[in-house]
Amino acid sequence: MMHIQGVGKRFMSRGAWVTALESVDLKVQTGEFLTIVGPSGCGKSTLLNIVAGLMPASQGQVTVNGTKVTGVDRRIGYITQSDNLFPWRTLRDNVAFPLEIEGMAREERYRRADAWIERVGLKGFETAYPHELSGGMRQRGNIIRTLVYEPEVLLMDEPFGPLDAQTRIVLQDLLLKLWETSRATVIFITHDLTEAIGLADRVLLMSARPGRMVRDERISIARPRDIFHIHDVPEFRVLYDDIWKELEVQVRGPTTATKP
Amino acid sequence: MTNDFPEKTGLSQRQKVLLGQFATIFVILGLWEYAAGRWIDVFFVSKPSLICVKLWSEVFEASFYNDLRVTSLEMFGGYAIGGFGGVIFGVLLARWPVAAQICDPIFVALNSIPRIALAPLLIIWFGIDMASKIVLAATLVFFLTFFNTLAGILNVEAGLVNVARVQGASHWQIFTKVMLPGATSWIMTGLRTALPFALIGVIVGEFLAASEGLGYRLNQYSTTYNTTGTMAMLIVMMALMMVLNNIMIRIERRMLKWKPRSGYQIDTTY
Repeated sequence: MMHIQGVGKRFMSRGAWVTALESVDLKVQTGEFLTIVGPSGCGKSTLLNIVAGLMPASQGQVTVNGTKVTGVDRRIGYITQSDNLFPWRTLRDNVAFPLEIEGMAREERYRRADAWIERVGLKGFETAYPHELSGGMRQRGNIIRTLVYEPEVLLMDEPFGPLDAQTRIVLQDLLLKLWETSRATVIFITHDLTEAIGLADRVLLMSARPGRMVRDERISIARPRDIFHIHDVPEFRVLYDDIWKELEVQVRGPTTATKP
Repeated sequence: MTNDFPEKTGLSQRQKVLLGQFATIFVILGLWEYAAGRWIDVFFVSKPSLICVKLWSEVFEASFYNDLRVTSLEMFGGYAIGGFGGVIFGVLLARWPVAAQICDPIFVALNSIPRIALAPLLIIWFGIDMASKIVLAATLVFFLTFFNTLAGILNVEAGLVNVARVQGASHWQIFTKVMLPGATSWIMTGLRTALPFALIGVIVGEFLAASEGLGYRLNQYSTTYNTTGTMAMLIVMMALMMVLNNIMIRIERRMLKWKPRSGYQIDTTY
């Protein structure tokens, strides 16, 4: 289980303290797929940066299975919106990178990298450089280079954000299939409510800045799910409308309430 | 280069460009040959035919080869020392930001010294032989390489560094596997732009005080009003520079084969 206890972030900006993230308390069960939805700038990415150990929290702590996370932790993988593949490395060498830095022999790490590459349908592109791949292909590479070292927790910060609608659905489907076999704990941030409900066991709604958790909704749509036809599931529609009402308030902000 | 559409004429774009280049050179040389002695005094501009004859006779002179060898050695020495030093210093200071901040204004100030003005001092310190020319070339090459290396390392995307951090890379691994490869294109640009400066440094040094070298040879010709000899030396230097530049571009391409080619490409390798 992953436990985020009272984690908050304040920083100094132009001589004044700004609260980026109000104290967040969150328990994520092992193997749970959690999505967090919220308006832009609500501190979602700040939360993930703290959990990933890239940024110190102003308060609070994070534990994974009872052990405290101090700084960067190999048990936690982080997949960001921009693919950040090393442009000077081939796809294979990008995917094998985490194994390379832990000192695994070349033959073994290539074998593992190639297996993942094949699993996500990129066979034949092992020696391609990132600029030779499409956005969707690069994002697949980004995902599997984290999965290759099997972290217990996967943090995903709008990984499908920059992709076109069709590629998104294909990758959502792929992610679900990969997750169903690995059952890692996932915290997935998104703007897209369809994506949030379609993927998750649990959806959290965050308020506009400073970010707070305003709703915690269990999604009981049966798995394995057909993400391509998620709109046809009656439970999906009910949940979508219900959560959207609340999200809309956060997205529009209080000032627009008076406008027609 | 591949053409998406078949050309109507029989010539490829590459052939057209080559043809155009030869035609341009031919016209210019023809005009020069014709004008010299008719519109302008040969004494001032010489003549392509005379220069050719002069180059041909140089080829059989042992002293010419000695001068070429000396200049090449000086250039190589200055380039190697300056380039190597620039990369090493750039890397060290990028690793140690406080030192970089301390050194930055000093290096900017030192680099602001016009190198021609520095040359007499270097000749006093290092004598009139090869050493002073090597140092002069090295001071030019060093700063160009240094500033590019430093900028290149500092400009590596934070996102790439974070990926390696999250995956548990050590500082040393981040440096060798992310920062350095990320800075390669900057470092190579620095080394390539520094190349002609190595020759400039060497030639300037040879002008001021030397007993051998292409700069010395050119100086001998020009002080005796031998325009033909002077022009011949200019052509030798030009050819030397072009050959070296070509080698450099090939090395750079090989090292940066992962980089997408973008924008308008001027192909300077033949």
